Amino acid sequence: MMAYPLADPLVVLREEFDDWAVLFHPDTGAAVGLNPVGVAIWQRLDGRHTVPGIVTELTETFDGVPGSAVEEVHAFVADLIERGFVGSAQSQPG
Amino acid sequence: MPPGAAHAQPQPEAGPRLAQFYFYLTEGCNCACRHCWLAPKFDPEATRYPTLPVAAFERVIAEALPLGLGRVKLTGGEPLMHPDIGDLLAVVRREDLALTVETNGLRLTEALADAIAGCRQPFVSVSLDGAEAGYHDKVRGVPGAFDLAVAGVRHLVEAGLKPQLILSVMRDNVGQVEPVVRLAEQLGAGSVKFNLIQPTERGVALHEQGDSLTVPELIDLGRWVEGDLAGSTELALHFDYPRAFRSLARLATRGGQGSCGILGILGVLASGQYALCGIGESVPELLFGQVGQVPLAEVWYQHPVLLALRDGLPGKLGGICAECLQKSDCLGSCIAQNYYRAKDLFAPYWFCEEADQLGLFPASRRVPVAAKG
Ligand code: SF4
Repeated sequence: MMAYPLADPLVVLREEFDDWAVLFHPDTGAAVGLNPVGVAIWQRLDGRHTVPGIVTELTETFDGVPGSAVEEVHAFVADLIERGFVGSAQSQPG
Repeated sequence: MPPGAAHAQPQPEAGPRLAQFYFYLTEGCNCACRHCWLAPKFDPEATRYPTLPVAAFERVIAEALPLGLGRVKLTGGEPLMHPDIGDLLAVVRREDLALTVETNGLRLTEALADAIAGCRQPFVSVSLDGAEAGYHDKVRGVPGAFDLAVAGVRHLVEAGLKPQLILSVMRDNVGQVEPVVRLAEQLGAGSVKFNLIQPTERGVALHEQGDSLTVPELIDLGRWVEGDLAGSTELALHFDYPRAFRSLARLATRGGQGSCGILGILGVLASGQYALCGIGESVPELLFGQVGQVPLAEVWYQHPVLLALRDGLPGKLGGICAECLQKSDCLGSCIAQNYYRAKDLFAPYWFCEEADQLGLFPASRRVPVAAKG
């Protein structure tokens, strides 16, 4: 079954001068830095994209997206779930 | 040990690990730098002021090893003017400790470079405040200092090391930032670090006279160093402003730099006094007792200042540090500096405080207003 990850709506994304960004979780006080690809992924964690769907869109925006991108994005999203920035992926699009 | 295997880090039996000791080996120094944050007395022959006895050095190490000691830093004053520096290095080698040396390079002979290179994981930083003698010697207050320092760097490179050059940025030498990087490339150095002038001891006068750079100037310079200049060289460049000002890209690749390491470090001064760090020379409250008279384990596990820091960092940091998203990694940048200025272990760091007052503290590194309270 496809999973549609959804960012915690409380989490604040603040972009910086060089297109990196800080994610801040107000409940836990946790903060994490994202590179520009991470930012693009984050913006698609809206409960309507699957990981393969996100990767397809990334290949349209960024050069040189590797063949292993789906696994890498899965790992990235799993890490954000683990840190509490993303709710568990839902099985239906939101 | 098989090739490539990591050196096992000693672990204390219980409690926090004392990972590193800073040895301020000499009370005097053979330079008289305009900006020195410790202000040692000028003593070119190391005959007039105390130096740490070898027996005390050995005793500190013997007591620190069970607490987890893995690395020692030799600094000063000027560590290489210690009359028994060869014996001290032999102790470091014998105990298989990793070694850091901070030196002005004036006495860095071929033999000393080889002795340093024989220790485990040697890392040496040499101060160079310009790529020409005119700049460097003026800052150091010693004619001929530049030639000696450059010769010292060459000895280190010939011994197989990749030393770091350190330039303390001030108004007079700000134009030397790029030339020093080019000189470092020519000499075979491994990295260049740009230090801020701290408003401590001799640095106070530089700040008051406007001879240090302003916070806005330093922010601009740091961005340029980390961006354009770093992109033009293979060398690692490190601009020592606080973490809130570093780009996330730099933090991702060089995360450990620019934090106060105080929770795993202790210092000992040339007088044989345990201290938070070299600031103990100027702030008696941060002295913790005499080597040999008080057991090191007692200092490390029970001294009220250290207990207060372990209990209070980072949660009790005040001012802008309290609101900073980097505080868990940064720990207020430099506790000794903060204490020197405010007599408060948890006072905020001057640079970030000033940037905040000027409206220049990065909004993205601050706890969002809605999340406070
Ligand atoms: S505000 Fe404090 S904790 Fe944050 S970067 Fe500056 S010195 Fe470090």
